Amino acid sequence: MTLPEKLDRGEAIRYLGGAGIELTDEMNALIDDCERELLSVIAPKYRCITVALPCEEIMRGEDIRRHLEGCDRAVMLCATLGAQADRLIRIAQVSDMARAVVLDSLASVAIEQVCRMIDEMIAAENPGEYLTFRFSPGYGDYPIELQKTFLTMLDAPRRIGLSMNESCLLIPAKSVTAVAGLSKEPIPKRKRGCAVCSLKNTCRYRRNGEHCGF
Amino acid sequence: MDFEKLTGTNGFVLLDGAMGTLIQKSGAEYRHSPETLNITEPDLIASFHRAYIEAGSQIIYANTFGANAYKLADSGFSVEEIIRAGVRNAKSAAEGRALVALDVGPIGMLLEPAGSLRFDEAYDYFKQQIIAGQDADLIVLETMTDLYELKAAVLAAKENCDKPILATMTFERDGRTFTGVSPAAAALTLSGLGVDALGVNCSLGPDELEGVVAELTRFTDLPLIVKANAGLPDPNSNEYNISPKRFAECVSELLKYGVRYVGGCCGTTPEYISELKAMLADRSYVPVPKEAGACVCSASTVVEIDRPRIIGERINPTGKKAFQQALVNDDLDYILTQALSQVEGGAEILDVNVGHPEIDEARMMVRALTSIQSVCDAPLQIDSTKPAVLEAGLRRYNGKPIVNSVNGEEKSLASVLPLVKKYGAAVVGLTLDENGIPKTAEGRFAIAKRIVERAEALGIDRREVFIDCLTLTVSAEQDACRETLRALHRVKTELGCRTCLGVSNISFGLPNRELVNSTFLTMALEEGLDLPIMNPNLPAMTGAVRAYRVLAGFDKNSLDFIAAYNDTKPSAPKAEKTVDLTSAVYRGLKNEGAAVTEQLLQSRDAMEIVNELLIPALDKVGEDFEKGRIFLPQLIQSANAAQECFEVIKRHLNASGKGEVSKGKIILATVKGDIHDIGKNIVKVLLDNYGYTVVDLGKDVDPQLIVDTAVSRGITVIGLSALMTTTLKSMEDTISLIRRTPELQNPDGTSKCVVFVGGAVLTREYAMKIGADYYCRDAKESVDAAKRVFG
Repeated sequence: MTLPEKLDRGEAIRYLGGAGIELTDEMNALIDDCERELLSVIAPKYRCITVALPCEEIMRGEDIRRHLEGCDRAVMLCATLGAQADRLIRIAQVSDMARAVVLDSLASVAIEQVCRMIDEMIAAENPGEYLTFRFSPGYGDYPIELQKTFLTMLDAPRRIGLSMNESCLLIPAKSVTAVAGLSKEPIPKRKRGCAVCSLKNTCRYRRNGEHCGF
Repeated sequence: MDFEKLTGTNGFVLLDGAMGTLIQKSGAEYRHSPETLNITEPDLIASFHRAYIEAGSQIIYANTFGANAYKLADSGFSVEEIIRAGVRNAKSAAEGRALVALDVGPIGMLLEPAGSLRFDEAYDYFKQQIIAGQDADLIVLETMTDLYELKAAVLAAKENCDKPILATMTFERDGRTFTGVSPAAAALTLSGLGVDALGVNCSLGPDELEGVVAELTRFTDLPLIVKANAGLPDPNSNEYNISPKRFAECVSELLKYGVRYVGGCCGTTPEYISELKAMLADRSYVPVPKEAGACVCSASTVVEIDRPRIIGERINPTGKKAFQQALVNDDLDYILTQALSQVEGGAEILDVNVGHPEIDEARMMVRALTSIQSVCDAPLQIDSTKPAVLEAGLRRYNGKPIVNSVNGEEKSLASVLPLVKKYGAAVVGLTLDENGIPKTAEGRFAIAKRIVERAEALGIDRREVFIDCLTLTVSAEQDACRETLRALHRVKTELGCRTCLGVSNISFGLPNRELVNSTFLTMALEEGLDLPIMNPNLPAMTGAVRAYRVLAGFDKNSLDFIAAYNDTKPSAPKAEKTVDLTSAVYRGLKNEGAAVTEQLLQSRDAMEIVNELLIPALDKVGEDFEKGRIFLPQLIQSANAAQECFEVIKRHLNASGKGEVSKGKIILATVKGDIHDIGKNIVKVLLDNYGYTVVDLGKDVDPQLIVDTAVSRGITVIGLSALMTTTLKSMEDTISLIRRTPELQNPDGTSKCVVFVGGAVLTREYAMKIGADYYCRDAKESVDAAKRVFG
């Protein structure tokens, strides 16, 4: 899949510290340069499978049941920017840490953009149906250990080169696994909300009375 | 039936098709993984094997692809049970009509540096499989995407059985594996390690593999294997899109590249094998010799020694105080920075020497090689006088390295050359022996000849023995330069070896050394020098090599030369003269900061500059960051600029005899299980910049290593990071071990250590609950904590 030519700058700036900070020319140039470099090395890959609900393998805890309520099918997906993104950030950590921080933020933006593109594709392939937002292992009471189930069911190591370590951290790091429900009935619009977020106690945005947007 | 007698009249060997596809089509149900069917449905599995043998397969792969201890963990069966049953099923189906391969796939976890599985752990997983599969006729290592993992598997196979080994990797449409391995690097490395055949499986359809197969054959003499998918699966029906007939046609197009072993992967069935058999009937296998000459590589980058190539010499502590100190401190950043800057300067291969009397050289060599390989693609040259260090490095190097070095002494020949052969490296041969360095070219040539003969007797290609005729200091022995060059010329023309030479020694004791060095370099190049070992960061030296490559006709159309010197990048903004120290630091302007500091030192006291200008400037930056007025990268840039200023002041103080001490020593580590270490690395940069000495243990660090380092180095301030909720437990365990260790306790039983912690999901309450002393919300607060601890 191909990425858009531009990454979402506003989101990158929020990752870097917030929209309230004055963006100097130097900072702007640094972000431009990092964006160019990142986009030139990454080759995003993804895979989706549709499963009929209830799918017992992935139903663990209350949150996912609530999340998929009213859905008769769900799409499981995995996506990654690939090993080169990690490598680029690793190299920058040796040669120029300021750059590494910018690359890291941009890569986080990029994988989220990839996921949004996948959302759109799923929606296009299932006309007339409604898609819940993506729910990932580690959200709320949805166990991170399900990462292994997701990767196995999606055949992710072989299909897109995505695997995990013993602590269930995805490798490459700039990757996502998630499940989104498909429903014939409209799904009430809601934000993902902070309640299920593992960062809820330390989040910068919340501290400043903001919301990350998810 | 044995492996040697396998090949029929036409010389090809027919492999089988997919096992998974047949299992899927049969609708057989299994609880955990398809390998468990070996025990629950042995007859079914045997029937699939039989179908392939009846279609013509001469080698069948036992149903053991994922039968490793990691994947089978909660299957209810042991690796031994599954593998023995798998081999037994295949043997019973074969009844001597086909050979049975133990099929070994990837473990399912990524190795370091991308992942956290250690090389030796990977080796142990594979070793268990190889031993369990002792009844198989040969070993197949397949669907690999990481050359490093495949190397662990090959070594495990070689060291635990004497069966033939077939090794195949999976390449994507961009011609690389998921981890970035190129076919050329795979071919070179696997040939060197001594597999019996290599190639490609899975990946794509045979219609899309020509590029990969053509590249593989250019870099190996070995027969190739092609076991492609039946095209691409339809996302909905999961049916593959290439028919058996078309599959065979596409494979037939690949035979000209020296393909000898053919079969099918995902989506293929016995029908595909029948079609392959029919297609092969009127063809015969033609071996294709390797086209490339001497080459070395990392997992992603091949350097062919088909023209002079620059070996960077700077990762060598000899005569470098700062480097020696970095080795003693276990500080790898120094080495990594050297590696990156040499490549930037034009080095194509890097020499790595970490010899120092106060350290464990083998351990450091492994650490240096693996760390460099995690950030740098250049092939490496493992440089040590100790065979044990060479072997440690050779084992853990990813790709095909150079060994530096062997010499004409019997002891050296007998200990080093077998290692070079076993691990498939190239080697530098020094023309000296127990009697020292011969004075004449003839004497050196004779030693070179001896080295080459001994290498060839072990099966090492003479083109991969790089003879070093040794540079002597011209100010001491003026005639020696001529002898070196004469010897070099003879070695190149008469022995047909590649040559290398450390260039810089020539000018010891003379003024304007760079001029002497670059002139000598040019002379040596003209006599046939292939591999100058030199400082690539001296423009005159690198320039001489680049210009020579143009003038001698290697650099076609001067493309590389133009790329190197026709600088299209906008030139760096000129240093602003008017900037003052405070704003240089604030704006993160390193060069300006250093220049202003130099100027200020002429009129003001060093400590006054530090206390009245630098520290307040840094404090202002810190405050602005805290208040959300600047971005994190700006804080880092400012800290870097301040460090540049501190360096200037340090040099000044050292010159004026007022030595300077570190503000304090701190251990940093990202806890066991956690691999997200960018936060820890940011803290490290800042602490460094504020004058603290940081001992960085890296990521995924075992609690015991942290404690051992604290005890052995006498450091009692420890910073820990964990990014994920799942790894906070690890942080707690680490702190608990620190508190429990008697050597880190005061006589009254209280802890000597101060622990500060940070990480995205960590809260102050939790930090206190798990026994930390300081909770640091961000990198700036880590510096504040350090200030409070050390005063």
